[in-house]
Amino acid sequence: MSILYDEGQQAIASESRRILEAHVTTEALLPLLETQDAIFEPFWSIAKEQGWTAVALPEAYGGLGLGLIELGLVALQAGRSLSGAPFLTPSFGAARAILDHGDEALKQHWLPKLATGDAIGAIAFAEGQQVIGRSLAFKDGKLGGTKPAVTGGTRADVAVVTASDGKEPILAVAELTGVERQAIDSFDNSRCAADLIFADTPAIVLARGPAAEEAALHILALQAVITAHEQTGGAEKLLETARDYALTRRAFGQPIGAFQSVKHRIAEIYALVELARAGAVHAASREGQEDFIAAAAAARIQATDSYDTAARDCVQVHGGIGVTWEAGLHLHMRRARSLAIEQGNLFFWEDVLVDRLREKAA
Amino acid sequence: MSDIDTYRRKARTWLESVAPRFGRAARAELSEEEDLALGRAYLKERFAAGYAGINWPIEFGGQGLGHIEKVAFETEEMQFGMPTAYFSISLGMPVPIIMRFCEDKAWVKERVLKALQGEEIWCQLFSEPAGGSDLAGLRTRAETDGNGWKINGQKVWTSWAQYSDYGVIVVRTDPTVAKHKGLTYFWVDMKAPGVTVRPIKLAGGDSHVNEVFFDDVKVGDDHRMSPVGGGFAVAMATLMIERYVATDSAGFGPHLDLFVALAEEAEINGRPAIEDGRIRQQIARNHAMRNSLDAITARAMKMMQAGMEPGPEGSLNKLVSVRSRQKLSELAIDLQGAAGLHFDAHAPVKQDWGASWINAPTGRIAGGADEMLLNTIAEKILGLPQDHRPDKGVPFNQIPA
Repeated sequence: MSILYDEGQQAIASESRRILEAHVTTEALLPLLETQDAIFEPFWSIAKEQGWTAVALPEAYGGLGLGLIELGLVALQAGRSLSGAPFLTPSFGAARAILDHGDEALKQHWLPKLATGDAIGAIAFAEGQQVIGRSLAFKDGKLGGTKPAVTGGTRADVAVVTASDGKEPILAVAELTGVERQAIDSFDNSRCAADLIFADTPAIVLARGPAAEEAALHILALQAVITAHEQTGGAEKLLETARDYALTRRAFGQPIGAFQSVKHRIAEIYALVELARAGAVHAASREGQEDFIAAAAAARIQATDSYDTAARDCVQVHGGIGVTWEAGLHLHMRRARSLAIEQGNLFFWEDVLVDRLREKAA
Repeated sequence: MSDIDTYRRKARTWLESVAPRFGRAARAELSEEEDLALGRAYLKERFAAGYAGINWPIEFGGQGLGHIEKVAFETEEMQFGMPTAYFSISLGMPVPIIMRFCEDKAWVKERVLKALQGEEIWCQLFSEPAGGSDLAGLRTRAETDGNGWKINGQKVWTSWAQYSDYGVIVVRTDPTVAKHKGLTYFWVDMKAPGVTVRPIKLAGGDSHVNEVFFDDVKVGDDHRMSPVGGGFAVAMATLMIERYVATDSAGFGPHLDLFVALAEEAEINGRPAIEDGRIRQQIARNHAMRNSLDAITARAMKMMQAGMEPGPEGSLNKLVSVRSRQKLSELAIDLQGAAGLHFDAHAPVKQDWGASWINAPTGRIAGGADEMLLNTIAEKILGLPQDHRPDKGVPFNQIPA
């Protein structure tokens, strides 16, 4: 079942939108593309001040005690404005990993700091084409090896990693002090992606064996639902941008939005935005239910397709101006791609979903 | 459990109790005439059970409940394959519109009761050979004839006209004014002299739509349901009346589970189709899209329950789901290889990929073509400009042919 937002949730949406629209500009975001490890600092300050880092964490650890629905609403607004820092989703994912699988001391150590945003978390699962990689070695309580292109990796204080002890899969948490980080040059540099090179890095095991596999997928699914909201927000903004441009730009004596080739393209984006939104909200409402992973996978697949298509077609509606650096639509093209890869690509989620549909049918 | 859940559960219990006599399996071997007779019998029982005219006023014989109960019942009913198609237009638009626009309430009540019990069927005479999407461009004309009117012209795509007792019709009464302004709305007796119904065989082999010819068909002025020249507004009201209908994210074709089951059995180059990335991608993407449509519908139901107006995104269902059903049906046929060539023209479209495929284009055209739905989204929801319309404001008889 889907949900209707209550007044508190609507207030989260409108307030986060108001504050982000007042502070985040295309001019501020463009220079970040040409430097490694540069974020739009005001975005992260706002996220901390507004308590967005605390939204979906329990009050006992300094959180606000809300859930995926509320954090999703913030992420949707961040997607609209193109968030200027990538830490909100992975910090939440890392905190949830610690909350769900860590002991009390670990929770007391990390969760309050993650809730205030004074610590930044990272999720380091992927290894190249492996969405949940296992080549990182865990031995005698220490990690060795490289996790490539970790989102937020240049600045994270703590990472939740997937590894192997040679016998079984391990889910572990490691403080990143002393871990070597090599920032990588990406098409979306403000995501602060870096290779994390672990060498005798102390780590604490959160789960082992099949439980570790299941936990890793669940963390990715939680993040996928938040990201689906962010993707929905991006697509929604592109829809409005395309619509506004089609109303003002004139050719052959009329607004280009009067041509069916243009207006139908924009109407199709509307359909994709609403499909993405419905899938994301539905998934957020399914946390804790048996079908959560399938709902998250479905939301992720729809939102990725929607944001990609919206980015592609919004640029097309703009014609020449759409491909300029200054217009900044490429910021969405870039973000659509980076979000399509972070939290697992479409191939991964399509397989997860089909496997679950088969189980259900069997 | 909420009231609506209780209502739904009760409805389902009743449907299950009558399904052996009226459901999909009971209908499998029937001719259309037999099936229609079964449908009439089903409607009589449905009426007696209190599931007819669910959201219609009690004074006309309805149940006086809300849209939410109506949609809940229809959603449940749809799963049993009951013989309701013959009555769907009748009870969907013409009968509700006579309740609103006909003066003689005693006569209306008689019609409503007969229609609800399957004794009478109404059709809707809107589309014409010269215009389907462009409704206001219609050419069938009514001229004054004594105290009444005389109708001449042709309608087309009229669903179930061959079984209809009455119809509602929009005609042109003044060709000298702009096209929307010269229309008037009537009801007609389909058995009146001068009315000729000719079924049209569709691509799939079935004939539920018709051409209807009017040759000097006389109607009294008491058949008139709009002011003279005010017919377009009543026509629009007719099309708006069915905003709260049961939707189907499968596009009224087979459920995705049936495709998964097919892929479990089928092979591609000797390997299981369900392991093939091309097939898996289609399953995943179709599921994701249908999952979203279902979530949109669930949210609309919640909004109705809360007394709110559902959002405009509900209008996406038909556009998105029927397109996807069409492509998925093609893929399902291909997946069967040479076995996919087997075809049963009368197989149920919700069960059979061949029947779903051949009839899918109808779904993308009838009741608002995809292109019209896109125009509506662009203009009504997004505020984009109307198309260039060279006939705008031009008297109908001066519009270049």
